Amino acid sequence: MADEVPNSNDLFDDIFEDDRPAAPPLPTPQPINLEKQVPTDAEFLGEKGGVVTGRGRMEAAFGSGDGDETATAQVAQVANEVTGGTLFHQIYTPWRGELNSRWVRNWAILRYHVYGLFSKGHKPWPVMTKLIIFGVLIFSISDLAMLAIGAISGEEMIERISGISRGNMYGHVLSFWFRNACTYPIVTALIIGGMISEDRRNGTSALYFSRPINRRDYAAMKFLSVALILTVVVLVTLTAYYLGAILVGGEGWAYVMDTGLIFLGTFAAGVLLVFTYTSIGLALSSVSSGKFFPAVSFIGIILGTKLVAFLISALFNSSAIYLISPYDCLAHVGQWMLGLNHTYEHPASWSLVMLLVMNAVSLYVLSARVSSLEVTRE
Amino acid sequence: MTGTIIETDQLTKMYGPHVALDDMSLKINSGATGLLGPNGAGKSTLIKTLLGLIQLTSGEGKVLGYDIRTQGDSIRQRIGYMPEYDCLTPGMDAVHQVKYCGELIGMNTNIAMQRSHTVLEYVGLRDQRYREISTFSTGMMQATKLACAIIHDPDLLICDEPTNGLDSKSRGFMLDTLFQVVKQGDRSILMSSHLMEDVERICDRIVMIHKGKLIAQGKIEDLKAIDREIEIWVWGGASKMEAALQNAGLSPRRTGRVMRVVRQDETTYDLVLELAAKTGVQIRRMEDYEPSLEDLFLVIMDRLGYGVKSSADLLQTQGQPRSVAPAPSRPGGGI
Repeated sequence: MADEVPNSNDLFDDIFEDDRPAAPPLPTPQPINLEKQVPTDAEFLGEKGGVVTGRGRMEAAFGSGDGDETATAQVAQVANEVTGGTLFHQIYTPWRGELNSRWVRNWAILRYHVYGLFSKGHKPWPVMTKLIIFGVLIFSISDLAMLAIGAISGEEMIERISGISRGNMYGHVLSFWFRNACTYPIVTALIIGGMISEDRRNGTSALYFSRPINRRDYAAMKFLSVALILTVVVLVTLTAYYLGAILVGGEGWAYVMDTGLIFLGTFAAGVLLVFTYTSIGLALSSVSSGKFFPAVSFIGIILGTKLVAFLISALFNSSAIYLISPYDCLAHVGQWMLGLNHTYEHPASWSLVMLLVMNAVSLYVLSARVSSLEVTRE
Repeated sequence: MTGTIIETDQLTKMYGPHVALDDMSLKINSGATGLLGPNGAGKSTLIKTLLGLIQLTSGEGKVLGYDIRTQGDSIRQRIGYMPEYDCLTPGMDAVHQVKYCGELIGMNTNIAMQRSHTVLEYVGLRDQRYREISTFSTGMMQATKLACAIIHDPDLLICDEPTNGLDSKSRGFMLDTLFQVVKQGDRSILMSSHLMEDVERICDRIVMIHKGKLIAQGKIEDLKAIDREIEIWVWGGASKMEAALQNAGLSPRRTGRVMRVVRQDETTYDLVLELAAKTGVQIRRMEDYEPSLEDLFLVIMDRLGYGVKSSADLLQTQGQPRSVAPAPSRPGGGI
């Protein structure tokens, strides 16, 4: 029985054996003549022999064809009359232009970050960040506004309170309340938050380092970008305040000679503040891959160290603990530069050294972390 | 640029005791070249080396005539690099993202903007160029990355897994676009991919590396000739034919009625016909088998001691390769 079962391989072999009767030939297809199928005795719209054609249907729908000979109409072209037209034709276009030098490339990085605050097409800063920076900028020139109000109203008291003095200049840059408690650290935190960490998170570091941008230039331009924005908020407003006081008061050269050094001292202290905040902030941004951690950490370092120093100094009756606070070191050095009475017992040189150490550590961390940014992820 | 675009001589890169690139001597001519190798083979290290981004332990090399040790900036100015992973700023629109990439190369702002429009149209994003990148699909992001890489019309385009995560339609378009860059633009491409079909479709040459060593390089057609096979379609007794071929020492590989035997010389054809006549089996078709790159890969891996069934076993897995047999310390096979 098993022998009678055909092998599956041989099932189709008989298809090729030609011993079956030949099948009848298929009928040759005949062309269909539509004209023959139309009944000759048909009648349509009263017309004998008329057939239901497309024209007949149009006349039934839109009326007779009278006057069609003189009428013109815009009609769509039928497809076979279209001679060309391609939806998408991919053509590679070569370009052999000149490429600019290193400094133009670096300028592009700086512009990308700074212009993003004002215009589209650059770094997309969050709207809240832009608004807060704008608000702080307005607040920073409030002392100039007070001067203007004093001059306009003629109130000497207002002019005296808001005029140029060592205390007012110090207050513009280094006063803890309100500027270094609420505004400058917050602005810095918002700026540095995603400055490097977002490049790490989004992988955009590959865009920089696969191009002729070296890591030193990358870090330097990021640093300059943050520093430039802080400079506008802190130092440009200081300069506006000083120049405004001269203009509003109608002061002469003698006044400039008297107060010029105070201004320069304050400006130098402001540069130190901008540099220190930027380096600490960018170091924090470089160790993270999110915006939140660097921003909160920065505020924590500035305000937290001051709070801790304040509590410990109250217990031990010593101001040296304030050396752990970047803000207090800046304030101490600023007091020394402006010739104000010191509010700290330890020497100002200690604060200066601490500032140098803080900046050195921050820049080292920044440099090391930027070196670890990858072009290819492994 | 014609002629040799990449040339390295005994390139070695060590990370501590780990050898990432081992005495690698490459010579890549202009055109499209595929870079193949399992995970951890050293592809990324090789790409970074060619971009002039890492210091070599020893050896030397030139890319587009520039020294990879000292002229990294010049190399990167003339190379377009398309990374495998996301590298775009989510909040930007495509046209400004591509423009910024051009500025980072050193293009003037206005020219970069003009070229940005041109290349975005070329990669098929003309109507999407003002859309925010965060709203893009994977295919559109890949296309934007390609636009970033070719904005300055580079002589050499290095693509790291360009079809990663794309559906078949987008993948086809991406490959066509890359093909156009080579054929129409007369530019060179070094394409790293784990998809053999993609490499075969674009590239006429390959470089295969494994454990930091170069194991194969050259034209795909030349490399395919290392093992020629004859494909036979039989009818009416495939099992008998298989047994006969085995007895004759031809080691057939059989899938149903289709068998492949290694072509030893010209007499192999006659031997197969003779065996078919003896066993009473019809041979419906007999032809030289055209091996794919996948076949080539399997042969090479087989010679290296890996018992892999497909390239996916090695190339697509993360971490350690899922090899059946441990690889020998030295690659063999005389490739």
